[in-house]
Amino acid sequence: MKGRRAALAATAWALAGCAGIAGGGGPAAYALDPTHTSVTFEVAHFGTSTSRGRFERAQGSVQLDRAAGKGRAEITIATASVSTGVPVLDSRLRGPEALDSEAFPTATFVSERFVFTGDAVIAVAGSLTLRGRTLPLTLKATHFDCYLSPLLAHQVCGGDFEATLQRSRWGIDFGLSLGIPDEVRLLVQVEAIRQ
Amino acid sequence: MRLALASTLLCALAGAAVAEPVVYGLDPTHSFVNFELLHFGTSTIRGRFGPIEGQVNLDRVAGRGRLDIAVATASVSTGWRPFDARIREPDLLDSDAFPQARFVAAEFRFEGDLLVAVRGDLTLRGVQRPLLLRAKHFACEWRAILAVEVCGGDFEGEILRSEFGAAFGVPFVADRVRLLVQVEAVRP
Repeated sequence: MKGRRAALAATAWALAGCAGIAGGGGPAAYALDPTHTSVTFEVAHFGTSTSRGRFERAQGSVQLDRAAGKGRAEITIATASVSTGVPVLDSRLRGPEALDSEAFPTATFVSERFVFTGDAVIAVAGSLTLRGRTLPLTLKATHFDCYLSPLLAHQVCGGDFEATLQRSRWGIDFGLSLGIPDEVRLLVQVEAIRQ
Repeated sequence: MRLALASTLLCALAGAAVAEPVVYGLDPTHSFVNFELLHFGTSTIRGRFGPIEGQVNLDRVAGRGRLDIAVATASVSTGWRPFDARIREPDLLDSDAFPQARFVAAEFRFEGDLLVAVRGDLTLRGVQRPLLLRAKHFACEWRAILAVEVCGGDFEGEILRSEFGAAFGVPFVADRVRLLVQVEAVRP
């Protein structure tokens, strides 16, 4: 039984592979896999340690044409889904001094310029709308790959992307006067399933 | 001459006073274990445990320390609840049978009065293995807002989860797990 299931999975994988190859040229649409897409941020806490948090709800879509070296992505996160492991801090971050989640429930990153080396994405240039302000932001890839998911029987492309931003440029001044740094490092995990 | 002697004596006395080992209490709002592991060689899964509980003894002058800290394995949080529930199951963390992961270390490595690494034993899922955590940052500073001295830093280490019997999903989900530990401790 176990063997048969494994054989079935292998066949599905192989078939997905054929489909992947058949549809290999030209642009393809991908839907974000919300279970493997998340935005983590890091902020230095005074001069000692690094505080981390994440946004738990992200959705969006990606168009990718690896042969032509083109792509487009749109990712929206729910600002109220911020999670640091410290509930009191999460409330402060959702408040008007920081993310102001009631007035600005979403933050959106839109990119129409993917930078490739060969068929691998190395950077994604676009703009981030956060707290009602839209400013340019480029995410650099630290990993990028496409694989055939044995569970989903579909091609999945994804990677890890990083950027550092000054939160005050988006109007988030919370704690600056107390010495909490302006600089925030974003670590974005993305996986997207070929449709 | 006499002044220099007096000042040397004063320094020695002050040094003796500082050299007493201090027991620091962990700050639960800035003490977490974050982990990272690669998914299908493509993207990085992240999660956290915590807050960390326990005690840290630190003697910066003598260059010694000792710690005994623990995290609740059921506190695992990835941002996706079904995934957290899956990680608590018997073939991964087995949180029911092993509710705590514990790190006990008595080997503190200093460069000057800066802590650069801590070596000890990690007990996870009932298996004990040595673990080296390297400091990426470490500092002690006066926190004016709270009127306390805080020592803290970022520590990094790596484990192979299969060595602790939590091998489900290897190799599609990596065996190698990177640990990123944020810790802050307040001098009483």
